[in-house]
Amino acid sequence: MLGVTLSQKNNNFYFPGRTPDSSGINILFEETQDAGAIRICRQRMLTAIICFLIVYFIIGFRIISVCLVDGIHIFTPVEETFENEMYANTPISRADITDRNGVLIATSLPTVNLYANPKNVRHPEDIAAKLTTLFPEISFNDLIAKLTRKKTSFSMIKYNLSPAQQAAVNNLGIPALEFQKSEKRIYPHKNLFAHILGYTNIDNLGLAGIEKSLHKRLTESSKPLQLSIDIGIQDTIREELLAAVEEFQAKGASAILMDVNNGEVISMVSVPDYDPNLSIPVGNHSLFNFATQGVYEAGSVFKTFNTAIGLESKKVRIHDKFDATKPIKVQGITVSDYRGENRWLSVGEILIYSSNIGSAQLISRVGKEAQRQFLINMGFSQPLSDFETYEKGRPLFPSKKNWRDDTMATVSYGYGISITPLHLISAFSSLINGGIYHYPTIIKDNTATQPARRVISEHTSKDMRDLLRDVVIYGSAKKANIPGYQVIGKTGTANKLVEGRYVDKKVITSFVSAFPKDNPQYALLVIMDEPKGNKKTWGFVTSGWNAVPVGGKIISQIAPQLNIQTDFDLDVQRQHVRAAFVH
Amino acid sequence: MINTKTAITILWFTLTCVICFGSFVLKNQVHDLETELSKINNNIQKDVKTIHILKAEWSHLNNPARLKKLAAEHISLNKVRAEQIINYSALPFQYENGGIDIPASGINNKEYKKLVKAER
Repeated sequence: MLGVTLSQKNNNFYFPGRTPDSSGINILFEETQDAGAIRICRQRMLTAIICFLIVYFIIGFRIISVCLVDGIHIFTPVEETFENEMYANTPISRADITDRNGVLIATSLPTVNLYANPKNVRHPEDIAAKLTTLFPEISFNDLIAKLTRKKTSFSMIKYNLSPAQQAAVNNLGIPALEFQKSEKRIYPHKNLFAHILGYTNIDNLGLAGIEKSLHKRLTESSKPLQLSIDIGIQDTIREELLAAVEEFQAKGASAILMDVNNGEVISMVSVPDYDPNLSIPVGNHSLFNFATQGVYEAGSVFKTFNTAIGLESKKVRIHDKFDATKPIKVQGITVSDYRGENRWLSVGEILIYSSNIGSAQLISRVGKEAQRQFLINMGFSQPLSDFETYEKGRPLFPSKKNWRDDTMATVSYGYGISITPLHLISAFSSLINGGIYHYPTIIKDNTATQPARRVISEHTSKDMRDLLRDVVIYGSAKKANIPGYQVIGKTGTANKLVEGRYVDKKVITSFVSAFPKDNPQYALLVIMDEPKGNKKTWGFVTSGWNAVPVGGKIISQIAPQLNIQTDFDLDVQRQHVRAAFVH
Repeated sequence: MINTKTAITILWFTLTCVICFGSFVLKNQVHDLETELSKINNNIQKDVKTIHILKAEWSHLNNPARLKKLAAEHISLNKVRAEQIINYSALPFQYENGGIDIPASGINNKEYKKLVKAER
């Protein structure tokens, strides 16, 4: 209207960028004689101009930001974003779990669930008949009930269909049947990591093990969770334990291998175990993880801690001798030895011959206060609540009031205090690794774990290693003296408490060891629950006949896998080379 | 005679047409590219899913117990023993001299020949 009027009156065409001179407009509006309208028009024009300017400014800003600012990211190194992008593309919502070398040990497969919308169901009998031919395990009557459910548009028929089953259902062409995206947790190695990983229910909710304790981590981040477990070592240890359970007709067995320098658990096995891919009845014995839940009296392996208390307190010196000639009485209980030496024993000999009398004598020099405090420092009074598996046992640790002289004596050789195998191996690692206690963890490079702390001096730790080496060379652990690896260790056989009484024939045998002596890298604990004697063991059930040879076999196999250097002399090595070529 | 104003008007008109046509072509191209992109993204998703399933299968096939069984059936390799791990210095060769085999002292000729043969 404006333009037309102008062009008619002044025969003027205004190109972009050129504004009509004020006189022209005035002439025009003088003619219209409507000053108010001009003002309103100007205001509207101004508003429109401002609006357009804002829009152009936003567009301009966005163009610059897309071209320059966002564009910068294109040139960022691929390594920085690669990992995040890779995991962002994962088609599953629950993160994978891998071993320390990245081998997949738990993952989820994308599947679909089949459900019906009862509101769209026209001929329930027909649909049920067709579905039962595809899924014979679902009963016809159940299907009818599900398909005719009232006041709902969702009725679940079957979880986790395979792609072939999904195609078959699609081919039925029934509009009332629909699919829902889902995923199924699978454990490719079946029983191998059963107690560590645990399992999930049909709704992918963790019910045991790491699946339960780290459920939040697994569902919040799609980045795989890397454990400190090594699949090869785990398999070797499990195989040996299964063979041992078979050979000694034991009720169960357990083993833990720990990196003594950071507390990482390299392997943790408890048999009997179960296949987490299958549904497991609650209360089944195989669900029990002895390694973390089994609270037991460790027996003679505790003498290791007893000796360390003595040496660390400086009230006992390594060459001191103790009277073990005859049983002693402490507050009404008699302390005697199993196949005792009946003579004065040095600190080393107390360990070699596993003397209860010697241990009780030794600790009496230190006192019950220092003993209790030392064991608290070793972590024996509290459950290892920060350890990552869900199932954890609470130690039975006498209160200060109940810690009497007889408690002091019995604890010195491993009775009267109950701990889990995980407590034992963590504390043992600190005795021989130079004196640093590392909180156990099953996550690789775990930075969130509790800080390490010194529990004994480096000097005491070295003495302990020397004493424990003698136990393997001269004492009850001879069968674990694997040439080349300088194994150190201590055995223990504890009678089981049945209905308040210790039963001789029911024992729990333990062998706690580490290798190599001069620079310990790994600690291994082998425990057998109620092993029986056989012809090979002359009927004996003590640790030296079952747990120790099993430990020896395990060490001889895993040490080469763990890259532990042998300590053979050069001449011996040359002999090995010659022998290899002669045969 | 075309005057300047008419020329400019034609120029503006032509420019408008060109821009319109250009925008149309561009829009079409973008549309095609978007379709292609969504196809590629779908394929990526499918591949990622397949790879994920294959990873699970690969892990299943690499079960140590299975590998052990296969190894026992098809290759005659035993478990490594501690004695089999030795230092270079225990070998009867001196590798420092550019890989030339020089018999070390204390090894008799017959044994040395056997070792050299074995090394080949």
